[in-house]
Amino acid sequence: MTFKKIVNALILFTALIVTSQENIYTSFSIPSNLKENANAVIRLNNVDIELKSSDDMLITEKRIITILNKQGNRNIDAFVGYDNTTKIKELEVLVYDNFGKEIKKIKKNDFKDVSAVSGGTLYSDSRVKYLDYTPVSYPYTIEFTSVVSSSNTAFIQSFMPLDDYYVSVQNSSYNIIYPENITIRKKEKHLEGLKFEKEEKQGKLFYKVENLEAIKPESYSPLFRDMVPRVLVALNEFSYEGVPSIVENWNDFGKWLYHDLIKDTNDLPESTISMIQNLVKDESNDIEKAKKIYQYVQDKTRYISVQVGIGGWKPFNASEVDELGYGDCKALTNYTMSLLKAVGVKSNYCIVYGGDDIMSLEADFASMQGNHVFLNIPNGEENIWLECTSQKVPFGFIADFTDDRDVLVVTPDGGNIIHTKKYNPEESSQTIKGNCSIDENGTIQVQTTISSKGLQYSDKLRLDSENHRDLDSHYKERWDYINNISINEMHLNNDKNNIEIIEDISFSANNFSKVVGNRMLFVVNTLNRITSIPDRYRNRNAPLKIERGFKDVDEVEIKLPSDYIVEALPKVNLIETKFGSYKSETIKKDENIIIYKREFIVNDGEFPKEDYNKFRDFFKEVSRQDSAKIALIKQ
Amino acid sequence: MRIIVLLICFCFSISAYTQDYKFGKISKEELQEKYNPLDSTANATYLYKNRKTSFEYIQGDGFHQVTEVHERIKIYNQEGFDYASKSIYLYKSGGVNEKFTGLKAYTYNIINEKIEEDKLGKEGIFESEMHKYSNQIKFTMPNIKPGSVIEYKYRIDSPFYWNVNDYIFQHDIPIKKLEAKFEAPEYFKFKVNTKGFLAVTSKNEIKRDKITFTNKSRSNGFTGPVETTYNSSDVEFNKNISNYNLNNISALKEEPYVNNIDNYRSSVKYELSYTKFPNSLLKLYSTTWEDVVKAIYDSSNFGDELEKTGYYEDEVDAIISNISNPMKRAALIFDFVKSKVKWNGYYGKYANDGVKKAFKDHVGNTAEINLMLTSMLRYAGLSAYPVLISTRDNGVPLFPTREGYNYVISYVKFPEGSILLDATNKYSVPNVLPFRTLNWQGRVIAEQGGSTLIDLYPAEKSENKISMMATLDENGNLEGGYRSVKTNHRALSFREEYIGVDEDDFLEKLENKYGGLEISDYAVENENDLSEPIQESYKFIKESQADIIGDKLYFSPMFFLSTDENPFKLDKREFPVDFGYPSSVSFRIIIKLPEGYKIDSMPEPGAFMMPDNLGLFKYNISGNNKMIQLSIESEINQSIIIPSYYDSLKAYFSKLVEKENEQIVLSRI
Repeated sequence: MTFKKIVNALILFTALIVTSQENIYTSFSIPSNLKENANAVIRLNNVDIELKSSDDMLITEKRIITILNKQGNRNIDAFVGYDNTTKIKELEVLVYDNFGKEIKKIKKNDFKDVSAVSGGTLYSDSRVKYLDYTPVSYPYTIEFTSVVSSSNTAFIQSFMPLDDYYVSVQNSSYNIIYPENITIRKKEKHLEGLKFEKEEKQGKLFYKVENLEAIKPESYSPLFRDMVPRVLVALNEFSYEGVPSIVENWNDFGKWLYHDLIKDTNDLPESTISMIQNLVKDESNDIEKAKKIYQYVQDKTRYISVQVGIGGWKPFNASEVDELGYGDCKALTNYTMSLLKAVGVKSNYCIVYGGDDIMSLEADFASMQGNHVFLNIPNGEENIWLECTSQKVPFGFIADFTDDRDVLVVTPDGGNIIHTKKYNPEESSQTIKGNCSIDENGTIQVQTTISSKGLQYSDKLRLDSENHRDLDSHYKERWDYINNISINEMHLNNDKNNIEIIEDISFSANNFSKVVGNRMLFVVNTLNRITSIPDRYRNRNAPLKIERGFKDVDEVEIKLPSDYIVEALPKVNLIETKFGSYKSETIKKDENIIIYKREFIVNDGEFPKEDYNKFRDFFKEVSRQDSAKIALIKQ
Repeated sequence: MRIIVLLICFCFSISAYTQDYKFGKISKEELQEKYNPLDSTANATYLYKNRKTSFEYIQGDGFHQVTEVHERIKIYNQEGFDYASKSIYLYKSGGVNEKFTGLKAYTYNIINEKIEEDKLGKEGIFESEMHKYSNQIKFTMPNIKPGSVIEYKYRIDSPFYWNVNDYIFQHDIPIKKLEAKFEAPEYFKFKVNTKGFLAVTSKNEIKRDKITFTNKSRSNGFTGPVETTYNSSDVEFNKNISNYNLNNISALKEEPYVNNIDNYRSSVKYELSYTKFPNSLLKLYSTTWEDVVKAIYDSSNFGDELEKTGYYEDEVDAIISNISNPMKRAALIFDFVKSKVKWNGYYGKYANDGVKKAFKDHVGNTAEINLMLTSMLRYAGLSAYPVLISTRDNGVPLFPTREGYNYVISYVKFPEGSILLDATNKYSVPNVLPFRTLNWQGRVIAEQGGSTLIDLYPAEKSENKISMMATLDENGNLEGGYRSVKTNHRALSFREEYIGVDEDDFLEKLENKYGGLEISDYAVENENDLSEPIQESYKFIKESQADIIGDKLYFSPMFFLSTDENPFKLDKREFPVDFGYPSSVSFRIIIKLPEGYKIDSMPEPGAFMMPDNLGLFKYNISGNNKMIQLSIESEINQSIIIPSYYDSLKAYFSKLVEKENEQIVLSRI
C-alpha cells in the first residue's frame, strides 16, 4: 500500500466515523423502514451496568432518540427515580434540531423534581427527576445521559430494546460487567428470528440489536411485552435494603421472601388472637373458618397505598393493620394470613402480576417480578385464592384481576409457581329472561331478569355500589340503541354465596317499532345486541388473542299489538367457528306472541394472525343477525 | 290546640338543637345514622364544617393569616372511604412557607352500643414536597368502617396575608351544618365575593381588639448595675367579623356538557383591596375591574413586556416593509409569531421568562406569545390590544380579582371590523380561538389601562356540510362517494386530529368509527391553507346497509351517518349545557336504488325547532323508482343552552334521532 492510499483510507475511515456520528442527530439518516408506524426512533441506546460488588452497582445510560411528531413526545423517557439507596450521579440532556445542530442543554438541576406518587398512592418516599421540554419543531433529537449508583441489586433492569408501540430502534445495546465471585442468570425471550450480536463470558454479558421496526397496537392481540425481544437478568447473590441474599430459583426466592421479609411481620396482639379464635369457634372446617375471617378482614380494613423504600417489598406488620384498619396489598394479605394462622389455618403469601391483562410470572426464571400480592389457601387439588384489598369481592373469587396466570406461592419451605383458576366460558355466563309487549303505537314495555356469573359477575359488580342516578344512566347506556328509553324499576341482588348478580329491570320506550305504511318493523333482539365489531386492519400483524371467553343465553317473549300479524319471521341462524358459536331463532308461540332465543359463546384462545379476519367476520355476522328486523302487517 | 302545636314545635327545635359540635362530642345518633335522610345517595356527609380565618400580629414579623379548620365527617359506606383521607397544600415562596400545626384527629365507631375512638398517630400523617411552590400534608384516618365518623382539626399559619383561600360552601357530598368566620383588623380592607347557586349571606359585627408591643431597654452601666427593663404599650383597633351559618347544603353533582362545575359551586372569596396601617400609606391591591386591569397592566411582566420592541424589529420590518394593507400586515405577523414561537403548554397572563427570551428560544407561555403578537401588531401601526381571559378550566371570572384571569389573547380593530387572535395554536385563525378559551367574556385592555368587555363565544356558526352519492344493491351493500366541507371550529378540530398523524392510522380509526367502512381515494384539501374550509372526500363500500325481509328491502337513507343516540340522558338538569360554539350540520344524500325495486314507502318530510330559535331541524326527501334525494339541515344557534330549555333540548335530540333513523321500504317489482 502506498502512502497516499493509506492516507486516503484513513481519511475515508475518519470521514465515515464523523458522518455516522453526526448523522445520528438528524432525522434525514433514518432508514425508511424505521419511519413506518413510528412516532419516535431510538437512534442509539446504550445501557451499561457495572457491578462492583453484590451491593454496589453503577448504571450508565446513553439514549439518543429522534422524535418525529407530537405523539412521540411521550417516548423521550428522560427521567430517573431516586431514593435513599439509589443516587443520581450525572444527568444531562442535549437537544438537537433536525439538522443535527445542538440547540439546548439541560443540566441536572434544571430537571423537574417531584415526589414519585402515582394515582391512588397516598405516600411514597421515592422521588423522580424528569425533563420538561417543549419542542420548537419536529423532528428533533434528544440525547439523554445518566449515571446512577445503587446499593440495591435485587432488581437488574432487563434488555428490552423496543419499549413501546410506535417506536422503532436503530441501535440498542446492553452490557453488564460483574466481578468473578458473582454469578448471573439470564433468560432470553422472543429472540427467535432476530439478528443480534451477543457476547457472553465470565464477567460480561453483552447484547446488541439493530433495525427493529415499530409495532402498531392492534386489538385482540397478545400483550406488548409478550411480543417483543427481551433478556431478563438477575444475580444469584444480591443485596436488598442492605441485606445480602442468595437466590438461584423460585424456591430460594420464596425462602428469602418468607424468612427475610414476611415472617417477622406476622405479629398480632393476644387480644386479637383470642377474639379471632372466638369468632370461628363454632366452625369445624378450615374453609368455613377462612370465610369468616375473610369477611372480618373485608369489614375491618380498607386499601391505602403507602410505598416506603424502593419498590416497597416488605409488608407492614400485621399488628399495625390490626390497629389502623388499613394497608396496601402486602399489608392486608399479610394481615389476613396472620389471622388465619391464629386459628390454625395454613395460607400462603403470593406474588402476582395483577390486572385485567393476563400476565404470568416467568415460571423458570426467578427474579423480582410482579406488581401485586394476594393470598392462597391450599385445599387439596383446588387452591383457594383470596383478594385481600377489596371489600366487595366474594370469598375465593378472582376473575378479571389475578385469574388464569402463573403466580409465586411463598411458603416457609420455599416458593412454588402455581397457575391460578381459569374461568371457562361456561362459568362466565349471562342469562337473560325477558317479557316484552309492543302496542299499536310502537311503545314497548319490557320486564327482564338478568343473572350473571364468573367474569360477567365481575363486570357487573361495580353496579352494586352505584346510586340511583348513575344506575339509571348505566342502563340507558347499556341499551343505548333504544331511543327514548325510560327505566321504571331497577333491582339488583348480589348473591355473594353463589357468586351471582341478578338484575331485575323494567323499562319502556315509545316509538320502539317503526310504523311504515301498513307495516310495523322492529329489531327482534331487544335486550342483548352486539353493535360493535372488532377493528379492521389493512394489514394485520399480531396474532389473534382472545384472553377470556363468555357465554350469553337469552330467551325473550314478545307480545305483539293485537291488530298486527307476523308477515315474515327471521330465519334460524347458526354460526359455528373455532372462536365461538351463535344461534338465534324466533318462534311463533301463537298469533300474538313470539319467542326469541339466542345463544352466543366466545371461546378464549390464541390463533395465527391469518385468523383475525375470520374472527372479525364472525362478529360482523353476529352483529348483523342481532339487528335483524321482523315485519308485522296490519290485519 | 294551638298550644300543643307550639309545644311540639318547641320540643322539636330543642331536640334538633341538642347535637353538640364541640370537638370530640360525637353523639350515638351520628354514629348510628345509616344514610343521610336528605340525600340517601350520599356516600359520606360533612356533619359539621367549621373554618375560621383571622389575623395575628407577630412582633418583628408583622401580620400573619391564621386559619383554623374543624371538620366532622360521617362515612356511610365503602364508597365514602375516600373522605377518610385528606390532603392539604401549603404554599411556599421566597424562603417562607405556610405552617401546618395542631392536628388532632379521631375516628369514632360504635361497637356493641359503645363508642370507640381511635386517635390518628404519626404513622398516618405524610408530608412531602410537591414542587418548588408547594408542600403537601396528607393524612388517612385509622379503622374506617361503613358508619364511622371522623373528626379533625388543624391550623395553618400563613405569612402570605394577602392571599386568603376561598371559603368553599358546597362539596361533592352534602353538608349538614356549616359555620365559618372571617376576622380582619381594620387595617385590611377586603372585598367579599359570593358565587354559586346557594344564597349565602354573612352576619357582620365589629369588635375591639388590641396588640401589645413589648419593648426592652437596658440602662447603661455607669450609674449602677446594668438593668433590663421591659415596658409595653397597647395599640387598639377594630376588627371586622363576618359569620356564616348554614344548614343542610346539598351535594354538587357533575353533569355532562357542563363548562366547569366550579362555576356553580357555592363559595365566598375574600379579596384584599387595600391595606392601611397606622403611620403608613394606603397600599392598594384590587377593588374594581379597572383596578385589576391596572394592577395587571402595571406589573412588569405584562405592560413592560408589551412595550419591548427591539428584539423583533429587524425581522418584522423585513416581513411588512413592502406591505401596506393593514389586514395583510396583521395576517403576516400572526403567521410569523405562530411559526416562530411555540406554546410550551403553560397558561399565564404574565410573561414568565419574558418575551425576549421566548422569541430567542422559540418557546413561550400564552402571555409571552400573545403579548409579543400584540406588540408587533402595534409596531406595524395597527390598533391592537391585549385581552385578558379566563380559560374554561379556570371558571368564569365573576368578581374583580387578578386570579380571575389566567390567559392573554390579542384583539385588533380595523375600520371594517375587529378580530380576536391567539397565536398559541398552530391552526387557530382570526376569530376561531382554541376551545379552551371559549369562556364567556374577555377584557380588552386599552392603552391608558382602561378596559371593555368582549364576547368570546363565536357569533359565526361552525359548519359541516356533507354530501354523499351512493348506490345500493339488492343485497343491501352500499357503494359511493362522500364529501364534507368544514368551517371554523369544525375545521380547527379536524386539523388538530389529522395533520401530523400517520394517514393509514387515521383512516383505520375513521373506518372503525363507522363500523368497518372500507375507504379508498381519501383526500383532504386546504389542510394547510387556514383561510379556506377543510374539504374531505373519499370513496367507500359498506356491507349490509339494508335489511332484507321477504322480498322487501328496509333501510334508513342516512345509513351509517345517522345519529343513533341522544347525548342527553338525564331526566333533569341543574346547569347550562355548554357547546362552546354554535354549529350547523347539513346532509345532501343521493341514493341510486337497485334495479327491479320500487319504493313502497318513504319517511315524510318534516321540520321542528327549539323555542326562541335555539335550534332547527329540517328533513326533506323525494324520490322516484331509480333515485332518492334527501336533504337534512340541523342547527344549534347558541353556544350555551340554559337549564330551563333542557327539556326542549332533550326532546329535540330525541326527535332528531328518530327522524334520522326512519326507514324506506322497497319492494321487488
